[in-house]
Amino acid sequence: MRQHHGTVLRRLLASGMALGLLVTAAACGDDEEDPTAGGGGDEGGEASGDNPIRIGVSLPLTGEFSEPGTGIREGYETWQEVTNNAGGLLGREVELVFRDDASDPNRVVSDYESLITQEEVDLVFGPFSTRLVIPAAEVAEEYDMVFVEPAGAAPEVFEQGFQYLFYAAPAVASDHYDYLAEWIEALPDDERPQAAAYAVLDDPFAQGTAYGLKDALEELGIETVADEVYPPGTTNFTTVAATIAEADADIVVGGTQYEDGVGLVRAFQELGYQPDLAAFSTAPTLPEFADAVGDAVEGVVAPVGWSLDADLGQNAEFVEAHNERHGEDPDEDAANGFTVGEVMAAAVEEVGCAEQGAECQGQLRDWIRENEVDTVVGPLSWDEAGRPQQAHMVLQWQDGEIHIVLPEDSDVQSADIVYPKPEW
Amino acid sequence: MTWHLFWQGLALGVLGGGLYALFASGLTLYFGVMRVVMVAHPAFLFLAAYATYFVHETTGLDPLLTVLITAPAFFVLGIGVQRLVVARLSVENLGMMSVLLTFALAVLIEGGLGVVATGDHRTIRVDYATRAWRPFDIALPVDRVIGLGLAAATFLAVFAVLRYTRFGAALRATIQHPEAAALVGVDTERVRGLGFGLGLSTAAVGGAVLSIIDPFFPAGHWDYIGKLMAIIVVGGLGSVGGAAIAAVLLGALEGVVQVWQGATWAALLFYGFLFATLLIRPHGFFGGRLAARY
Repeated sequence: MRQHHGTVLRRLLASGMALGLLVTAAACGDDEEDPTAGGGGDEGGEASGDNPIRIGVSLPLTGEFSEPGTGIREGYETWQEVTNNAGGLLGREVELVFRDDASDPNRVVSDYESLITQEEVDLVFGPFSTRLVIPAAEVAEEYDMVFVEPAGAAPEVFEQGFQYLFYAAPAVASDHYDYLAEWIEALPDDERPQAAAYAVLDDPFAQGTAYGLKDALEELGIETVADEVYPPGTTNFTTVAATIAEADADIVVGGTQYEDGVGLVRAFQELGYQPDLAAFSTAPTLPEFADAVGDAVEGVVAPVGWSLDADLGQNAEFVEAHNERHGEDPDEDAANGFTVGEVMAAAVEEVGCAEQGAECQGQLRDWIRENEVDTVVGPLSWDEAGRPQQAHMVLQWQDGEIHIVLPEDSDVQSADIVYPKPEW
Repeated sequence: MTWHLFWQGLALGVLGGGLYALFASGLTLYFGVMRVVMVAHPAFLFLAAYATYFVHETTGLDPLLTVLITAPAFFVLGIGVQRLVVARLSVENLGMMSVLLTFALAVLIEGGLGVVATGDHRTIRVDYATRAWRPFDIALPVDRVIGLGLAAATFLAVFAVLRYTRFGAALRATIQHPEAAALVGVDTERVRGLGFGLGLSTAAVGGAVLSIIDPFFPAGHWDYIGKLMAIIVVGGLGSVGGAAIAAVLLGALEGVVQVWQGATWAALLFYGFLFATLLIRPHGFFGGRLAARY
């Protein structure tokens, strides 16, 4: 390898292609030196076949999205392990090739370019977050690569005219609260809330969830009395909360990520605002949320796409394998990563190919479009634009634990919803 | 906007301004008093928040009392950083080079925290952090009132050291004319090191307050650097009192604008003032004689 590396360098030097040199040197180096390059070959199981199916992934392993990015990476790795232990795909071992895009939309583009053209991977998996998924999907479209992604749920992802994109979770952002809206609609008139207030991060995903519920509630005649948008990087949530508290609505909806959810709950406590229903996106799905807000967590609801205990597909096997591989329970990000793998695996096994080129990738795409796939988040199917057609569950914190409270009378429900919620 | 909301916004804004003043106090010191542009100050704040977290977790000490341990530690750290790194910059382009150097320091701290403590959000939960006093039906969060109090104490301490101690006199002399100071027997290198240590110990106090107010994670410091820089420029580079006034005024304005026009406009406010200051009165609105000279 060293020898070959040197020859390439000399040839390029001779022709004076300084830029090409840099790119090639980086690509050659990656094979053996890049610590983020995935390890399939040496840790795989019983799968045989001398040429593995190589899958390229760029993830935000550092920077702003490093936490969810790492979660998804772990999910991908667990999927790789489970798949290889079961004999791989089409009898070939699968190997993941990781890149770190540092949460940078420009890096994610060059990462997928180089994965597809330099590394010549057979398949690609998507990155995290709407802001990175859209530029990455553009590259995948250009090279006719099926692009199943774990984390781009905002409306604009599906409005770009992408042909190869599929979101591997139960529902797009604006549908996350569908069950909650249905439940509110079913309440008797005298119990139904009258007014709602919204505190929303200026982010496509967070706004998608909160405004999806807002549209549904307004249709039910529930008045919007406050709608506060705050930019990313906001550090003081007390003043955002002050406007919401002043409106004193029955329902408060937070389009939040994590620290803003914690900041808002703490500020509401300080301001003495007691809503009957408090719904936040993302933050309450994370275990550390309860550590951060303490008893105030009681009664908080959130939409969630996956549950640790749900008896869906190979969920139990996934949780066990994840614990074995990573020494801890998976989170929702890891589950989304695993789901991407499941969707792609189902298509590859059915179609019988895994390689670049419009022919194979086109068949994979058509198969995913026309079929339903059994996954750890339940059966999934998609519309023309890649929007999943299912719904998120709704969780509520009760007695310091996460319970699935909606949909009612379903297999996944583990407790009845508490309304109005206890004071925080 | 009701009057109640206006007063509530104003009160929260002033309290937030107190926090900014506390966080910015070290910056004034390096920037004005030593002409070092310390981009890494918020990173040291977050380092201090983590230090508070780990001391609190292992000893069970109240997060605010951990300052007794972290502040001296940061003082020593500051002397080390100044002696080993900052002192090597040449005097001619100290302003520019110190930006690059401390930017690197900030990235190092962020990366180091990521490796040691992971990228997860951490929080310290204390009972008083979600309580509030309510005079006239206006909520005054206890944690933020404490922050304002500590800001005031820190500023008074820094001011008193600069104004009334021999070390303060030596520090000011070193800034005004290093050669002359050396001629009258001031050990200028030592004085600069102590000054840097003093700046970092204010970061230790700020970090302790930060840790009980908000969740923190390694990359969180980038959200503060812009606002804090704006404050010390508006306040007049190097004016300890000016920065405090600017912090509280901008904080108050931020609070009112936020409840009146929303958070997006409030976030713009700082940069609007920064821009206006540079355009109209580059040496700041309060004090800033030093800045005018350099």
